[in-house]
Amino acid sequence: MSRYGGGNISNASGGNRSQIAELFVKKILAHLDDTDPQKLNQFLNLFNSNNCKVVFNATPFAQLPLFLQMWQNQIVQTQHALTAVDYHVIPGSQTVIFNVNCKVRFDESGKDKMGQDATVSPGEQKLQHQKHRPANRPLWGTYFGVSLQLVVEERLFSNDMNGVILAFNYNMIYKPDDSLITVN
Amino acid sequence: MSGYHNVNSINALAQQQSQQNRVKVGVRNWQNATVQDLMNFLSRNTRIAITGATVEGPLVTGFVQSRADADALMKWNGIRFAGNNLKFEILDDANGATSNTILLLKNFLYRRYNAQTKMLDLGNLHADPDLVQKGLFSSISTQSKMFPALMKLASKEPQLVVESVNLSDNNLKDVSGVTTLAQTFPRLKNLCLANNQISRFRTLEVWKNKFKDLRELLMTNNPITNDKLYRSEMLRLFPKLVILDNVVVRDEQKLNSIYSLPVKLQQFFFESNDLGSSSTDFVTNFLNCWDSDRTQLLPLYTPQSQFSISVDSSMPPSSVPDSDQNPSFGYYLSLSRNVSKVSSEKSIQQRLSVGPEPILNSFKSLPKTKHHLQDRPDEYCMEVLSFPQISGFIITLHGFFEETEKPELDALSKPTGTTRSRRFNHGHNTSNNRLSKKSFDRTWVIVPTGAGVIVASDLMTIRPYTSAAWVTPPHQSIPNAPIASSTSLTGSGGSPVPPPVAGSTGPIGVPVLQPSNPAMPLNGTPVPQLAPTLQLPPDVQSNLNPIQLELLNKLHLQTKLNAEFTYMLAEQSGWTYDVAMEGFQRSVNNLPREAFIQ
Repeated sequence: MSRYGGGNISNASGGNRSQIAELFVKKILAHLDDTDPQKLNQFLNLFNSNNCKVVFNATPFAQLPLFLQMWQNQIVQTQHALTAVDYHVIPGSQTVIFNVNCKVRFDESGKDKMGQDATVSPGEQKLQHQKHRPANRPLWGTYFGVSLQLVVEERLFSNDMNGVILAFNYNMIYKPDDSLITVN
Repeated sequence: MSGYHNVNSINALAQQQSQQNRVKVGVRNWQNATVQDLMNFLSRNTRIAITGATVEGPLVTGFVQSRADADALMKWNGIRFAGNNLKFEILDDANGATSNTILLLKNFLYRRYNAQTKMLDLGNLHADPDLVQKGLFSSISTQSKMFPALMKLASKEPQLVVESVNLSDNNLKDVSGVTTLAQTFPRLKNLCLANNQISRFRTLEVWKNKFKDLRELLMTNNPITNDKLYRSEMLRLFPKLVILDNVVVRDEQKLNSIYSLPVKLQQFFFESNDLGSSSTDFVTNFLNCWDSDRTQLLPLYTPQSQFSISVDSSMPPSSVPDSDQNPSFGYYLSLSRNVSKVSSEKSIQQRLSVGPEPILNSFKSLPKTKHHLQDRPDEYCMEVLSFPQISGFIITLHGFFEETEKPELDALSKPTGTTRSRRFNHGHNTSNNRLSKKSFDRTWVIVPTGAGVIVASDLMTIRPYTSAAWVTPPHQSIPNAPIASSTSLTGSGGSPVPPPVAGSTGPIGVPVLQPSNPAMPLNGTPVPQLAPTLQLPPDVQSNLNPIQLELLNKLHLQTKLNAEFTYMLAEQSGWTYDVAMEGFQRSVNNLPREAFIQ
């Protein structure tokens, strides 16, 4: 009949599948928003180590660690908000395709994920300044729109999340005029 | 220097100026009808009102509201009326003393503008001999009133590309008189306010979150610079300030890495080159059928294929260009399978369509649409990844469509739909079903078969319309998007060939997609199909109306002149075909070789 499958779509565990799907996507977004470099490895564990495609704003990354390094070192703190999730289990392939939409905003305080900013200050003034500053509170800018597609192994639904992500396609779809962050 | 008198004269000036905004225009070649017929025809077709029409010889003259209206009217040159092609002209709109003042200020702006350094020098205005002579800047109060006027004039002059502004030596006590600078030049990079009397931070607060690109600020010789918070306040107000009073205050490299993404937005990604052409073919054909007759898509779906839509009703921020702040999702909500919003597991299962029949039903429950892949390719973005687990690939397309008609089927009346009585008990109205533009993200999982392809999975997000993140401002965009080229016309010189129905061949071939009606146009807009050799710069083309484009095309094909010369010929002949052809025949022997298509 068709090359991609003989299996039926099982509704047996349909009940909590959507919940797992949504939780899984939320988990990924939370990882993206994390500023702690120590937790990077946990994020890495979600991706298939041998064979994972990563595309960010229509630019492919040859290796996943390169993408995560870029995300950690060259992008300021983010905050993602999930707005839509849908998924299809592709019969016979043991994979699930996700279509996700979310919003993301960036810390526009001028500090990177490590809390360092670009000011060149005469030492004394800076020390004094830092003492009175609330501890690295981000100044969120305006939301950008994001469309995210994921290919994930079906064993996700039996709560096995180790190396399940096979493809990750993250693209910005709209951008506000009033953000300090430039994407083009 | 009678200062108090000037305030009144400026009010009068402002009034006269609004009167003076109207522009005198003339219309030629109208003689076969009455003036009233002409006016009715024009207001009906161009939507531009001409007032005070009088006949002056062969001309009808009158006034339009503004320069913009006049310019818009010029684009209608050559429109047919009563058997003739009308010709419009802008007549002298600079008469009277007040427009002389505008002229004077304009001249002043250009005198103070240095195109090379992109700098507008508005320093020491009250000492400018011309302005003093006119009594315009004789006191601080009049000066601050004239500044907004100057800014308004400056913003209407596209030739003034300003990166730096000098406002030194203007006796400014605060910036309240010059705040409009931020509206006129929001992208300003350098600003000099030296030698003024600015003393308080408060007054600068109006510029907070403005001037996002301000790199250098000079405030020397202002009392404010003695404040011990001066430096940190300036850093706070201007987030991208690098140099303050000739001292480096921020590490520019670090600043750039903080405020820009390391990866620039691209419009297309294809995992391999052959995926590029076959997937553009697929998407083009698919959307053509989607727009014209969705039943033709049915052969692409097998009994195991799945389709669902998901409504992302979250509102884009109002600062997203062209964003629809009042979207309506009435036709989609009952089908939406957005599992982060729909809580009922039963609905989630019902809203997944599996197999050709249910999928076609869903298709018919969605509004009829028109996509603009051909005529506005820049507004679509696509990624294609291989999908080894099924020996296929994944195409994701982001873009927009117009809703043209309500759905063929009413999803709400389906027996499987949610119960109507409960759902629409309160506050249901028809404005939820308004047709409008929508943005979308659509992902197809494609499996090539011997004969063509099948769609294993088809996931679509519907969201409020916004302009796209990857769209760059017009002056930067490059008109060579792959989507356009993959379907552009082939053949050179001859008459415009009808667009071939693409997709009959290609690596993944989509024979099942052949529309039953071979005459189905790929490009259904009223914009005339231009000959492939007539390549107009996009900014020129966007300023022309369909009639003009058609005329250009006709002239181009008749004369074999290249695009530039065709345009010149059309313009010189007032967009009249006969005049143009006459002119061409007169001068054809004197034209250089490079004037023709090579």
